Amino acid sequence: MRSKAMWPARMGLAIAVFVPLAGQVVGSTPLSQDEAESTPDVYMVRAERLVVRPGQVRENASVLVRDGRIVQVGGADLALPEGATEVRGAVVCASYIDPWSALGVDSGALADTNLVGSARTADGLDLYTGDHLRDEALRAGVTLARLQAGWQGQIGGLGAVVRLDPQLDVAEEAVVTDSADLAMSIGLSVDQGSQFVQGPDGSFRIISGDRAIDVFDRVSAVDKVVSNLETGRAYRKSQLEYEHKFAEWQKAIEKKTEELEKDFKKAKKDRDKDVEKAKEKGKEHKDKSYKEDRKPKQPKPDPDKAVLAQVAEGELPLVIELHRAGEIRNLLDATKDFSRVRMILAGATEAGPMAGELASRGIPVIVWPSLRGTNAADEFQGSDLSLAATLRDAGVNVLLGSGGRDATASRDLPLLAELAIGHGLSRDDAFHALTLGAARAFGVADRVGTIELGKDADLLVLDGMPLESGSHIQYVFCGGRLAVSPN
Amino acid sequence: MMLSALLVAMAATLPGDLEGPQPVDSTGTPVEAKAIAPARATVFKAAKIYVGDGTVIENGSIVVQDGVITQVGAKVETPKGATVVEHDGAISPGLIALHSNEGAGGELLDSTREVMPEAEARHAFAPHHSDYRRARQAGITSLVLAPSSANLIGGQSAVVKTAGGKVVKPSAHLAVSVSSDALNFNRFPTSYAGAMKELNDRFSEPEGAVARAVSGALPVLVDVNDRAEIGRALGFVKKFQLKGALYGSYWAEDLAEPIKESGMAVIATPFDVGDGERQMRSIVALQKVGVRIGFGLDAPARHPHSLRLGAAMCVRAGMPADAARKALTGDAAIIAGIPGRIGRLARGLDADIVLWSGDPVALSSAVEGVYIDGKHVFGGEK
Repeated sequence: MRSKAMWPARMGLAIAVFVPLAGQVVGSTPLSQDEAESTPDVYMVRAERLVVRPGQVRENASVLVRDGRIVQVGGADLALPEGATEVRGAVVCASYIDPWSALGVDSGALADTNLVGSARTADGLDLYTGDHLRDEALRAGVTLARLQAGWQGQIGGLGAVVRLDPQLDVAEEAVVTDSADLAMSIGLSVDQGSQFVQGPDGSFRIISGDRAIDVFDRVSAVDKVVSNLETGRAYRKSQLEYEHKFAEWQKAIEKKTEELEKDFKKAKKDRDKDVEKAKEKGKEHKDKSYKEDRKPKQPKPDPDKAVLAQVAEGELPLVIELHRAGEIRNLLDATKDFSRVRMILAGATEAGPMAGELASRGIPVIVWPSLRGTNAADEFQGSDLSLAATLRDAGVNVLLGSGGRDATASRDLPLLAELAIGHGLSRDDAFHALTLGAARAFGVADRVGTIELGKDADLLVLDGMPLESGSHIQYVFCGGRLAVSPN
Repeated sequence: MMLSALLVAMAATLPGDLEGPQPVDSTGTPVEAKAIAPARATVFKAAKIYVGDGTVIENGSIVVQDGVITQVGAKVETPKGATVVEHDGAISPGLIALHSNEGAGGELLDSTREVMPEAEARHAFAPHHSDYRRARQAGITSLVLAPSSANLIGGQSAVVKTAGGKVVKPSAHLAVSVSSDALNFNRFPTSYAGAMKELNDRFSEPEGAVARAVSGALPVLVDVNDRAEIGRALGFVKKFQLKGALYGSYWAEDLAEPIKESGMAVIATPFDVGDGERQMRSIVALQKVGVRIGFGLDAPARHPHSLRLGAAMCVRAGMPADAARKALTGDAAIIAGIPGRIGRLARGLDADIVLWSGDPVALSSAVEGVYIDGKHVFGGEK
């Protein structure tokens, strides 16, 4: 599931020194002084306030960053290792994660409407361009993003969590997980681009690109989600049945073998006789057949169905972008029997009235606090900036994302969070959404989202509390690399 | 609709003193003040009062009587019998959106003619439209209804209140467009050369509103998009010694000095999440050299909070927060042409007041109460 090479790129000599350490538990093999001196990647970050995790603040703390990770967290008196760079600030906290971003996804992959379940966004990254966009996002404190190809498609394939480090041109290094989720969408009125179509008479005509989205299309889109889940469940069932049958068969074979071996000598004699007889008659000898000879048939492996099976069994989150109240209602009703599915709604513009049910079913919502005019596309007409607060007040796990369409929007995620705060979401809840909440939802909370021993060093140093107006980000660490510093 | 509006326009006689305090409705008829008994004074108290001219009063009070501010300061006595509104956040003047289309639908563009200096945007004012409610909720109390930039000379803008139906300045600017928006496949002009020729002709032998613009009595609002268009606009305003503002800021960064020399203000094009950094940098650079800045909105196509989004994005890019607050209030009122009526919390000005949970340029601050002409129009407190 997880990509193996997750270590940030190093510069110069450090590559030779540290890459062989990748995979080892940092801390159990402390670096020698010589190694520490040769690396630019050892930092002691000291702050008056350390936001360990949302709602938990430690006064006068120090965080030692080495080789991409947080290797020590202590008080102000934590000794400065030789060769380490010291960084001081008022506040240190985890950096922001955009759980719904398009930054770094190749535009073709982003616009693809015909993706399948096993298509990986990690294969559709475009990490060689758009450095300035990643720089802008880093300066805003966003160091990680869940990227999703095929946002317009009914299936968008596997999403990836990616580190937004312009130095990481190799996808394997930038990708934290290549299977964060499977994405689907319902009822998006999107422009699929006009195309020329050749008619039977040879003439060309232009087909308008707008996908017709009427109420029947939307009902059928919900049905498709359900049938996909059923397909996944059936696939898993057939796999399990096969495994069971195969195990049974193996047992039966063993048993029969044992049975036959008992009378092996007699059986051999009988067989030799039979072979002889057949020879005399000029016939071909046929060995006795046993019912145990029949091996259970393996179902045809299908990678797409395998992904759907993971989703149906709750091994992989299912992100569904949808907006209208009717569709959300239909989806919630239609998926009642799939208790294992870990659904995450994206957008969910009109989910307010269903907040209670979303809370009781434990379905997180990625809210996109966007400023839309009254000419917005139909599905966004019910747009309300207080949605995040409404959902949170009802107990829904609220995440905040930048919409997954526009690569430049991730930079403004903190502004979107401030908009949500200005419309009733508490600052703590907004910070949780941007850090630990997003990390948990996409299965990377063991790596990022808090400032704890062993976690990746994705952190911010600010002159005030995060998401407070008037606070400025001074330093940004992205996977242990100092990506932003004042001036 | 369009025809009837024109007929009304011809029938209406404008009041002589356009700057006067007498409010008029969209047809130019004076609005009668409905003063029956002398209203009780209202006193607003807050920990922070952003005056609108860059100054801040800590723990101050604002006294409002009959819709007008009578006193502002840290040591102000509460008049007897006054209603007191104690606010635990910040107070600012109502925000002013400098280029917008609330409730106007297609009424701000007459697509049949490219030059219509006498067309007046106030006839498109539909004060009861829900767009105005949305604007009030975002802390916007006045806005400039501006003719579309798709016409070479689109007509005259109007400053209106977002509640109460008042047109506070019926003829605020003459809208001129040197942007490619004004070039049209179907009618004259189809090129920059054609556009500039026509504008030069009209301004060389000026009549009516154009004559008022040339005399300096009527500011111009010049729509520009790219760098070359800004250059053309600057040449044009210099030639005819025009006053006013450029609307469009994407490419203004490199031209900050010449814009400063021209004396023109700049109205920032509406901002959106994800906009390129160049736009923010332009505003920051212009503000730095001393160009007066205001923010455009172009609602309802934009969300009313886009106004503050623009300010917040510029602050993040390096604009001082007090300059951003001024651009939303006091400086905006100067660009709108009525600094004596709106944009500041000062004696004698309209009591357009917004109660915030925090700093108005922080998007995390909520609008908690809005008063227009002293009347409570949105929020919890009354």
